[in-house]
Amino acid sequence: MIKIINSGWLSIIIDSGRYGHGAVGVPPSSALDHYAYCILNHLLGHDRDAPAIEVIGGNFALTVGADVTCAITGAKVKAFLNDQPLQPWAAFPMVKGSILKVQDVEEGFRYYVGFSGGMNLERIISSYSTNMECRFGGFKGRPLQKGDEIDFKDRKMGEPAEIPERHIPSMKPPHRLRIVEGPEISYFTPDSVKAFAEGTVFTVSSRMNRTGIRLEAKPLTFRTEADMSIISEGILPGTIQIPGDGVPIIMLHERTIGGYARIAVVAKADQDLLAHLKPGDHVLFERIGMEEAQSLWKSKQETITSFKQINRRPA
Amino acid sequence: MFGDSINLEIHKKVRRFHFFLKSLELKEIIDIIPSFRSCLIHFDGESTSFQKLASFIMEREPAAASVDLPEPKTYEIPVSYGGEFGPDMEFLISHLELSEDEIINIHTSVIYTVFAVGFIPGFPYLGILDRRLSVPRLETPRFKVPEGSVGIAQLQTGIYSFDSPGGWRIIGRTEKKLFNPQEAPYSLLQIGDRIRFLRL
Repeated sequence: MIKIINSGWLSIIIDSGRYGHGAVGVPPSSALDHYAYCILNHLLGHDRDAPAIEVIGGNFALTVGADVTCAITGAKVKAFLNDQPLQPWAAFPMVKGSILKVQDVEEGFRYYVGFSGGMNLERIISSYSTNMECRFGGFKGRPLQKGDEIDFKDRKMGEPAEIPERHIPSMKPPHRLRIVEGPEISYFTPDSVKAFAEGTVFTVSSRMNRTGIRLEAKPLTFRTEADMSIISEGILPGTIQIPGDGVPIIMLHERTIGGYARIAVVAKADQDLLAHLKPGDHVLFERIGMEEAQSLWKSKQETITSFKQINRRPA
Repeated sequence: MFGDSINLEIHKKVRRFHFFLKSLELKEIIDIIPSFRSCLIHFDGESTSFQKLASFIMEREPAAASVDLPEPKTYEIPVSYGGEFGPDMEFLISHLELSEDEIINIHTSVIYTVFAVGFIPGFPYLGILDRRLSVPRLETPRFKVPEGSVGIAQLQTGIYSFDSPGGWRIIGRTEKKLFNPQEAPYSLLQIGDRIRFLRL
């Protein structure tokens, strides 16, 4: 059993996502940092879609009712196991009754916590992820709260392990995001598009949540003949929409359809960084072609696969 | 892209293409999002590429003409119009220069088609709204529109299936549950279904 002592600013159950029902508006609600989530599963010896806890903010603490192996990936945190400092991106044993405490987040925004024994939760629409807005999935369809208890799925210990520093991505701002052009890029003046994709420094607004991230900067200019909205159409995670006020919104994993001009999509290989944008951070875009985006994603996937082949080093 | 307007003929092509894509049962396709004029295909970039998948689908596309389509269903949705359930009714009355009764009569006189379901689970984008009721969206969307709210925007009308942020003008509310995550197919309404609003 896992018992939440403090839930941080927001902690929810996630997995690799809820797919296959986009035609009835069901969004993925997946782990926002897919790489960190995959590495967490690797550290714990889990399948690719095991449930994990996605946490924002320090002041997160939990205890366990059995001996188990725990791992943390994602944002770099100042964490302690019974006051013993922990390495980032590592798996470590927790004995029954010990306390895991995350005091602070030092780099990045969201971190992931999982257990070798897994968590005994129910899949809703083929996923463990929490859809907070519609209150289903995850743990009773809501964020975790102080006192919540989740049973382990199995009594299973894992091996201690750590991820080499070179495989831990930088999450420090300014964030450089590579983008592929979107279907409505021609709605904007060439000068606007050039500034957007080459050099404008955007600031992450405090108006951000799991649905989308608003950016602040000089607004983009629509061409005079272009509509300010489109006939509503499908969107993917990472789509950058420009509403009538000309200021971008990066859509995350909670929407299937949008009605604003889609100027670009963040390259899939760079979408993990979106989990770590926080208010006040600076963001710059760089335009790349579809083929480059595809090969970046392939090589990122290969990195994840390569972890499964190397032997684990003891921590 | 099958066209560039909200139009039943275009939508029929989208719906047919959606069921054709599903019939291919391609493991490379992660999800499909059909809407007014297109089907968005979310594919697995690890096992295929845009070029490969697109040419594979387009080679087989002629078979779409003979794909089996489910029979659309028709539903009646009872609505309490105006008052506390329709906070934008007053705006419509003054903006359109119609009485509340006229607005309700026009809104309930059309059998709507479900053009798309989404943005949030179970929200139906319904068309085609009578031009006499066409109004722009709110300039600043509401932070929270209550579940069941019936809204209109341009030539569309829709029903908020959950409490959510929203910018459509709200004219009434229904108690009909539109989405049940515990039971497939989860959404009451599927693309191509028809609905009719009843005044309570």
